[in-house]
Amino acid sequence: MNYLIIGNSAAGISGAEAIRKVDKTGKITMVSAEGYPPYSRCLLSYYLAGDIEEKKLLFRPEDFYEKNKIEVLLGKKVEKIEPEKKKVILAGKEEIAYDKLLIATGASPKLLNIKGEDRKGVFGLRTVEDVQNILQRLDKVKVAAVLGGGLIGLKAAYGLRKRGLRVKVIIKSNRVLSQMLDERAAAIFRKRIEENGIEVMTGLAAEEILADDGSVKGLKLDNGASVDCQLVVIGKGVTPNIDLVKGTAIKVSRGISVDEKQGTNISDIYAAGDVAETVDIVSGRTTINALWPCAVEQGRIAGYNMALRKSGEKAGEEHKYAGSIGMNSIEFFDLPVISIGITRPGEKGYEEVIRDIPEKGFYRKIVLRDNRIVGAILLGRINPAGVLLSLIRDKVDVSEIKDEIMEETFNYSRVVHLMKEEKISETDRLFNQMVG
Amino acid sequence: MKYLFCNLEKCLGCKSCEIACALEHSRSKDLFQAVEEKPSPRYRLKVEYGKERAFPLACRHCDEPACVVACMSGCLSKDSKTGAVVQDEERCVGCWMCLMVCPYGAVNPDGERKLPLRCDRCREKEEPACVVACPTGALVFMEPEEFKKTVTRNSQPVTKKTS
Repeated sequence: MNYLIIGNSAAGISGAEAIRKVDKTGKITMVSAEGYPPYSRCLLSYYLAGDIEEKKLLFRPEDFYEKNKIEVLLGKKVEKIEPEKKKVILAGKEEIAYDKLLIATGASPKLLNIKGEDRKGVFGLRTVEDVQNILQRLDKVKVAAVLGGGLIGLKAAYGLRKRGLRVKVIIKSNRVLSQMLDERAAAIFRKRIEENGIEVMTGLAAEEILADDGSVKGLKLDNGASVDCQLVVIGKGVTPNIDLVKGTAIKVSRGISVDEKQGTNISDIYAAGDVAETVDIVSGRTTINALWPCAVEQGRIAGYNMALRKSGEKAGEEHKYAGSIGMNSIEFFDLPVISIGITRPGEKGYEEVIRDIPEKGFYRKIVLRDNRIVGAILLGRINPAGVLLSLIRDKVDVSEIKDEIMEETFNYSRVVHLMKEEKISETDRLFNQMVG
Repeated sequence: MKYLFCNLEKCLGCKSCEIACALEHSRSKDLFQAVEEKPSPRYRLKVEYGKERAFPLACRHCDEPACVVACMSGCLSKDSKTGAVVQDEERCVGCWMCLMVCPYGAVNPDGERKLPLRCDRCREKEEPACVVACPTGALVFMEPEEFKKTVTRNSQPVTKKTS
């Protein structure tokens, strides 16, 4: 069998690992446009901040490819897929044939489409190269502007602040982390980062990036004001890398559409990670949850199914993806926060239970629909986040423990009796002493 | 594979296990020195409370650990020989993704060191420190089949709905 994987990050690597687990001898080829061994994009802000060294960006050992007998082509871009001929075409017209293909091309930072975006000193925070370029420029910079107050924007702001710059975060909406948090949690979070020297400006957008001699010297904002800065980081979220499937028969909506086996509409072609559109467990709708854990899980499911023996003695069972959930965890300046699912319902039919203890730095909220949790925010004391996640995932009726969930000491033992029987493993029954 | 089980009927919630755990993971391994240590030694197993009973909770070293899937630094892995979930503390950045997905809430965040702490079964030791320290013999390190035999069949399932 001849496997080809496009992409070399979370989904691609876990796909390759899954294939190799099942098929010890098949040929696996990985192609990546970036010339770098498997590194974790989520760690880039830590590298930018100087919290970790460059070599710690790698999430697999350097001998990963060799150990797993993977042929890897780094720094090569796939230009086109030809499903009917079962081959892909690289830049420079080189061709690679495949039997099974995994598209794990990930996503790229969204652009703002404003004037001056192409100037020197304007960066995303998506690749090692981005960080290296920012770091090289640091000695020319006193003030940095970050456009966007989501996770990427704030991570960039944190990293730049740790490097001693003055940092201004410019946010179009009225609060930080508006996709993740409600107003109250966002206000607590904003206060903490402002206390640590990051300036936050809400309700504003950049209209133009001003430059002098080609290099950034400031921003013009939509209220007419201008901001002096020598570096701009754009953190506006990501958009799936679907260029190479355009014009093919592979079905695309916002991302590549996949079924629960991570297969596309074309047989033998799979997609996983930030490029794939999957069913969101909470909303029931298809969406892209561009998150590390989702990418790993999807890659693994795709890999297993690609390597699956369909008939004969060792025929295996198909692996199915249960769906993704939007969630994230972040900590800045000793304030951790986790957000899962729907945190700002904005429609009828939802119930919110909130506990806010400002002096303890504790804020917790659950959002319910028909007595089932569909979202949660945990700020300060984050310990039971995973317990809430499984209640969300399994759609457990929590009507009798709503208040208990709000307690600081809420823990797993409080929910065991509510869990669905089939969700509790044999070993767990022993752990929980559900015997007799 | 052996697991850290607790016979909940025998557990008094005395927290001897927590102290033994923190001590085992201290630098000095001496109680009087350990209390002075910075960063403070922390326990990895926590005595949680149900409505009526204590419930010692530690990493269960799952067959398919969600934490390993969620780990974005590559510091977590499942040891294919011992079955344990292993953490390379050097590589961990404290992103709390593992904590976010652990269905048991068995990851204890060490805010001082920015490290998610989980039971490491005291690594090379024959018996984990908590098991040795448990005064009532509630905590045991056993194969599931072996543990099954020790639990009285007629005992009230302590965490199950009683109504």
